[in-house]
Amino acid sequence: MGFSQWLQHNSFVVWVNGSVVTASSLEIIHYVGFFLLVGATAIIDLRVMGVAAKRQSATQLAEQVFPWMWTGLVLATISGFLMYASDATEYLHNSVFHQKLYLCVLGIIFAVIVRRNVPKWDKLPAIPGVARVIALISLALWVATILWGVDVPALTGVG
Amino acid sequence: MHQFIIAFARWVQSTHLGVGILESTWAFPYVQLTHFTGLSLFIGTTLALDLRLMGVGKKSQTAAQLADSLFAWNWLGFAIGITGGFMLFSTAALTYVANPSFDVKLSMLIPAGLILHIVNQRKVRTWGETTETPGIAKLAGFVELLLWLSVVSAAVLIPYFAAEP
Repeated sequence: MGFSQWLQHNSFVVWVNGSVVTASSLEIIHYVGFFLLVGATAIIDLRVMGVAAKRQSATQLAEQVFPWMWTGLVLATISGFLMYASDATEYLHNSVFHQKLYLCVLGIIFAVIVRRNVPKWDKLPAIPGVARVIALISLALWVATILWGVDVPALTGVG
Repeated sequence: MHQFIIAFARWVQSTHLGVGILESTWAFPYVQLTHFTGLSLFIGTTLALDLRLMGVGKKSQTAAQLADSLFAWNWLGFAIGITGGFMLFSTAALTYVANPSFDVKLSMLIPAGLILHIVNQRKVRTWGETTETPGIAKLAGFVELLLWLSVVSAAVLIPYFAAEP
């Protein structure tokens, strides 16, 4: 509680959430960030699942778009943290919000697993079934993260 | 035209779709989920191609190869996004059409973004044959990127422009 209160009253946090220009900029950065994050991750997952970009090499596609996944993650995390900070005490016991963060962490872990294994899977005659399952879980985790994200205001009224 | 839009909005808002989503306790978040998942696919992959046209980031694929990789799911994302968007609109259509930020988004920014998106997808076959893209491709990619950022900005600003009750 002490930390949440300190964070919520931090002068930068108060300032950045205090005006229309800065507060709406945080939202815009959060949306664009997670569009990049989820869009880039999804297209790699769909390629591994065998339902996208079959004419192109999966490794080259992953190399091309994966950096945008990290870029999106950084943008969404920074903007998300600053929006959370302005209501930190309310999020402290908000279980829906906590679940969203766990889903997000799992999503990052699965994205890294997919990215690390794509060159290996790509060399095989066909992408193995277990790889397709991992990619499907990765994709499902990000869709779930968005669902939990919209459920925070819908179910708990915070945000 | 204005009368027609108002009449259309009134009708949409009164359909089972709009009323049903509003009256249900769980439907609204799922409609938002549909909109945002579609947009992640559409805007995420569109920005990846715009940045490649601009020559920003990795060059593992040519712009033509990347466009080919993304094409089907890019448009599928657009279809999912617009379906979710129409459902969101149906819950408060009259309020939306009276909102200046929504009007600019729908009547100017999205049409402009879509036109340039289609032009870029066609031109990328010649622009994107080699690793380096020509100057005109860099400009076209940059303008399209700005247009979709404006679409997101206009959407975020809708509540800020809402008329006081």
